Amino acid sequence: MSAKTLTQADLASLVGDLVAAGTRVVAPSRTGVGPLQHLDYREIKKADEMTLDAGLPKRSIKELFFPPTEVLFRWKQKKNDFELQEVETKFQKTVVIGARPCDAAAPEIVDRLMNWDYKDELWNGRREATTIVALACDGQDKSCFCTAVGLGPDSTKGADVLLVPVKGGYHAEILTAKGEALVKDFGKRFGEAKSADEAGKFRETARAKVEGNLKVDPKPIRTWLDGHFEDKYWGEIALRCHGCGACASVCPTCHCFDIVDEPEGIYEGARRRNWDTCQTGKFTLHGSGHNPRGTQNMRFRQRVTHKFAIYPRKFEEILCTGCGRCARACPGGMDLLEILSDIGQMAGGAA
Amino acid sequence: MNILLHRYDITQEDDFHALPDFNRKATLQHVDKVYKAEITNIIRLTEMEKLFHFRILDPKERDTFSFLPGQFVMLEVPGYGEVPISISGSPTNKGYVELCIRKAGVVTSMLHRAGRGARVGIRGPFGTHFPMGKMKGSDILLIAGGLGLAPLRAPIFHVTENRSDYRNVHIMYGTKDPSQLLFDYQYKQWERIDGVNLSVIVERADDTWKGPVGLITKLMDGMKIVGDETYAIVCGPPVMFKFVCNQLGKMGVPMHRMFVSLERRMHCGMGKCCRCNIGSTYTCVDGPVFDYWSVMNLKEAI
Repeated sequence: MSAKTLTQADLASLVGDLVAAGTRVVAPSRTGVGPLQHLDYREIKKADEMTLDAGLPKRSIKELFFPPTEVLFRWKQKKNDFELQEVETKFQKTVVIGARPCDAAAPEIVDRLMNWDYKDELWNGRREATTIVALACDGQDKSCFCTAVGLGPDSTKGADVLLVPVKGGYHAEILTAKGEALVKDFGKRFGEAKSADEAGKFRETARAKVEGNLKVDPKPIRTWLDGHFEDKYWGEIALRCHGCGACASVCPTCHCFDIVDEPEGIYEGARRRNWDTCQTGKFTLHGSGHNPRGTQNMRFRQRVTHKFAIYPRKFEEILCTGCGRCARACPGGMDLLEILSDIGQMAGGAA
Repeated sequence: MNILLHRYDITQEDDFHALPDFNRKATLQHVDKVYKAEITNIIRLTEMEKLFHFRILDPKERDTFSFLPGQFVMLEVPGYGEVPISISGSPTNKGYVELCIRKAGVVTSMLHRAGRGARVGIRGPFGTHFPMGKMKGSDILLIAGGLGLAPLRAPIFHVTENRSDYRNVHIMYGTKDPSQLLFDYQYKQWERIDGVNLSVIVERADDTWKGPVGLITKLMDGMKIVGDETYAIVCGPPVMFKFVCNQLGKMGVPMHRMFVSLERRMHCGMGKCCRCNIGSTYTCVDGPVFDYWSVMNLKEAI
């Protein structure tokens, strides 16, 4: 691992260089007008479209690797027969600039699932074509809890390069081969590292700020979840939950999907893979009408258990990066921080 | 006295000391490949269920497609979607797939309107199978309720085609009323096979019904079996498992000698989409066939 310095002006030039080289550059950018204006990751053509100092974008970078809807193949019906057409998928070379550490960590966590049995070509193709330049965060708000799941506002997990804001620019840590390649290709934009101390202070301050939001230990939580599937706590947990699935759609690690044939006209159409969520009633409904997860309480228990016990058991990773988007997005006021803090207390860990 | 009263000791079983393995993996073959198939025959079983015979079109592909009793395929009807269906046919019937399908949703309703010659896609086979090899030399109980006879028909074929490998075979089948009995034209054929006992029961009899009336567990009353020399396969609606398996337990069959086929909603079949999750178990890859001991250790399984 090596370190470099990147000034504001050089970062702007780097964006220009990348765009000129035909690479897709994705960065947090203000979009929408009036009350609909918000910060989101999107493709930019010029450096001034990028907003790096306005906090956490509304949605995560999940959709760069796993689009909300994507065509798997197309079909055409002909009387009694049908024809299938392969869809060519191009994996465009992409550099994400300014991904928050909680977003950068998520694809690496989901990599485990996408490669454990059948290897998902679409996911892996996009992963390989993408370099993630993460930007250390100064702590967004009271809903952040990355430090409680073993990450942090300066976490390097999943990032190829980590930028830490310092006076006049960024202290850049080059973390992976993909990061090295980026520095090598655009070497003239990166200077000698000289502000490691200042970066260190920034990281400490941010960490302390987020740590105050939620202090729990994920290990006893996992043990508690394993042993308390029938606990009365689950009986009332989802009274406020509408089952809308907003939490899953903003979650950087939620990866459930649905496969449906969507008609485009009468005789042709496409099979698509669409995002789905375990929070809807129909998610597990059997053809016979039986539903093994029949109530919203059971469905919310699934959400919490999957993230903090089931996924860790199978893949040794917590399926949560602590971005807090689920708590911010929920129309009913379900708060994962509150739930984790409750479970932490019941589990006897620090809370 | 202890020697005379033969008491079954579960700890003497070879596989007792092995922890339940929830991460067994099915042997997947070409799961992302779509075999193009044609409906060659349709047999009306009841008002709601039809048996479809599919033939894989490409002769080369016909040779590569094989399955084991208990596995399922993803059946796709272009324009309507894909559904997981247990294979009802015989594993020796190479290149032909028999699926018994109830009209329940969008895809299956469409299929019920299709005629001979219509073409569909078949992906698979997926999932674990009934351990027919392990069951050799034992008595076999094959128990089905309702549509459960569809997945059970594959092991029935296997047992009747390899009759000498197994000892006594008891097939027990129950439905709500006589009009819902599936494959009623085959009962005579199975019954006449040496050492195969078939009994059928309905919950509500009609005027024509001459057989027994009651729940499926009634068929097992008074049955004499030796627990450690018997294997059971149970297929049916979730509510049935508990009653039948408890009864089997009382009769002395150890839990890991009872096999059930779990139903789950599934979409990808590759352990990705999370729909069929039971805890950390993906039913499409680690199931759908589980021994009852594993099922007892899975939360929300039934």
